[in-house]
Amino acid sequence: MLTVEKLKNYGANTEEALQRCINNETLYLTLVNRFIDQNTFPGLKEAINNHDLEGAFHVAHSLKGVIGNLSLTPLYDVIYEMTELLRKRTEMDYQDLIDKYEKFYNELLALR
Amino acid sequence: MINKNKRKLLIVEDEFVNREILKNILLDDYEICEAEDGESALEILNSNENNFSLILLDLFLPKLSGLELLNIIEGDSKLNNIPVIVLTSDKELEVQCLSYGASDFISKPYPDSSIIKARINRVIELFEDRQTIKSTERDALTRLYTRAYFYKYVADEDKNNPNQEMDAIAIGIRSFHVIKERFGAHFSDSLLVRFSKRLKAVMPNISGMVCRLEADTFIVYAKHIENYEEFHQEISSDLYVDLDNKTPIQVQLGIYQNADKNLDIDVRFERAKRVLDKIRNNVIKNISIFDDKLKEKEMYEEELIEEFSTAIKEHQFVVFYQPKFNIKGDKPFLASAEALVRWKHPTKGLISPGIFIPLFEEKGLIQRLDLYVWNEAALQMKKWQEKYHKHVPVSVNVSRIDLYDPNLIETFLDIVKQNNLDTKDLYLEITESACTEDVDIIIDKANALREAGFMIEIDDFGTGYSSLSMINKIPLDALKIDMIFIRNAFRSQNDNQLIKIIIDIASYLKVPTIAEGVENKEQVEVLKELGCDLVQGYYFSKPVPEDEFAHFLTQE
Repeated sequence: MLTVEKLKNYGANTEEALQRCINNETLYLTLVNRFIDQNTFPGLKEAINNHDLEGAFHVAHSLKGVIGNLSLTPLYDVIYEMTELLRKRTEMDYQDLIDKYEKFYNELLALR
Repeated sequence: MINKNKRKLLIVEDEFVNREILKNILLDDYEICEAEDGESALEILNSNENNFSLILLDLFLPKLSGLELLNIIEGDSKLNNIPVIVLTSDKELEVQCLSYGASDFISKPYPDSSIIKARINRVIELFEDRQTIKSTERDALTRLYTRAYFYKYVADEDKNNPNQEMDAIAIGIRSFHVIKERFGAHFSDSLLVRFSKRLKAVMPNISGMVCRLEADTFIVYAKHIENYEEFHQEISSDLYVDLDNKTPIQVQLGIYQNADKNLDIDVRFERAKRVLDKIRNNVIKNISIFDDKLKEKEMYEEELIEEFSTAIKEHQFVVFYQPKFNIKGDKPFLASAEALVRWKHPTKGLISPGIFIPLFEEKGLIQRLDLYVWNEAALQMKKWQEKYHKHVPVSVNVSRIDLYDPNLIETFLDIVKQNNLDTKDLYLEITESACTEDVDIIIDKANALREAGFMIEIDDFGTGYSSLSMINKIPLDALKIDMIFIRNAFRSQNDNQLIKIIIDIASYLKVPTIAEGVENKEQVEVLKELGCDLVQGYYFSKPVPEDEFAHFLTQE
């Protein structure tokens, strides 16, 4: 079961996130669970594979907002980098970043 | 400024997580509405007019983007009084949003909840202060929009939705002035406030907006619908004058459907108001619809009214004369004539007096036309006397309104004098229906006219619903039997009892009778037998121009 403690150890800035949730731990954990379930990252991957950098940017941008609000720092750092690259429509190999994101996502998933 | 009463916020954000965080922060202080995309946000806004104190708007939205929505909100007079705070994680877009009309922004990831609250609070306060300053947009009593603001709204609405069919509606409370008299201004004001609240509450149902035009008249601009029964029901059911719920209020609607957007806004609502005014005194009718036929008729009438002065100046009004024959003796002979006006319009052709007389009566032009006819007829008599040395009295029509003119007798005396006539030459026809109201004034005036030497004929006798008790009070020199009696009497079973009664009344009053609309010899014979003195109608002659009438003067 997901706990604040686990998230903290994972690298999330739980203090900041809980402050945002006015210290409502249940809400915070519910929202993180929701984020895990709602995983929109495959859509981002697909857009990149199709060279749809604009579509990819939109997904990345939205993800960045959510992850930022949940203060999931490891994922945030990756998605932030991707968003900025995609914003400029940078043509490059995104595989390393994708792998990194998926690694952190799976770690998060394993916390449950 | 922010009081206990919870303000309503709309959060437009597609990400559930972000929405939930905001909601959790704001739930205690505000009532929260949510929309997941731009389109549904717009829908909520449009159906909750002016209910929101603030919109929190995410920029990246499905369907309608945040910037697009912001653009719509700022361009909509109904919505642009709601402040917008943009939620964004893009530094570059922040400035752009402000230039698009956003009041502030909140960056993502969200800052400390106390910062979010403070920003929201500040923006709402600022806006509410501004609203107070702009309070001229609202009617002081009902807090509905004022006309100026409402018209601006209508203009914007037309601009934003040019293809939407719209109805212009005028709403009134029947006999409001009576309610005011009976219950007092304070009470009638509170009634207006109650009614305004109800109107405002039902506006979303018809996608409309309401404004108080004046007193008890409200105007509404709404999406077109065919049937207004339900709307009428909604705004008027269980609405009472008094607090005991005893006297229901009658609400009436005048509706100009599919209002022509090429017309001035004023004109559109004027039409709605005009059809409302038509039923204002009607206790049964609640809905009155403007139709295009009415429009055509009104346009035509408007033209006639505009052209009236020119027509007088250019002598487009032509006086025709219809002879009246005395049938007492063996051989009928010319006794007098009646002056009847025709309008020879340069482009519209010959216009029937049946059209323009009632119109001029209504619009207050009839006095000028009557005066014109009196002068023309008097001049004609003078010419006939000079040319044929014949005295043919002419009867002219005197409208009810003329009888209120304090200078009437002077006017007639002048006309007579200028044309070297005798007062006995001018017969004055007053319709019986003119004698049913203000009887004393009419009688006094008729008496004065007779004393001055003029002859009074009562026209259309038997159709004016005057009571018999009044008949012998009206000073008169002749009774004209309306042609309807002649027509009815000879149409079916030769039932001439009514004519006989009228002739009996005349003989009781010791005045002659004149039968109008006599069409054949048989009728003349019967009328003669019944004791009728004079006859006018197609049997002898239709109304003719003066040169043709001269024919009767040279005949004998």
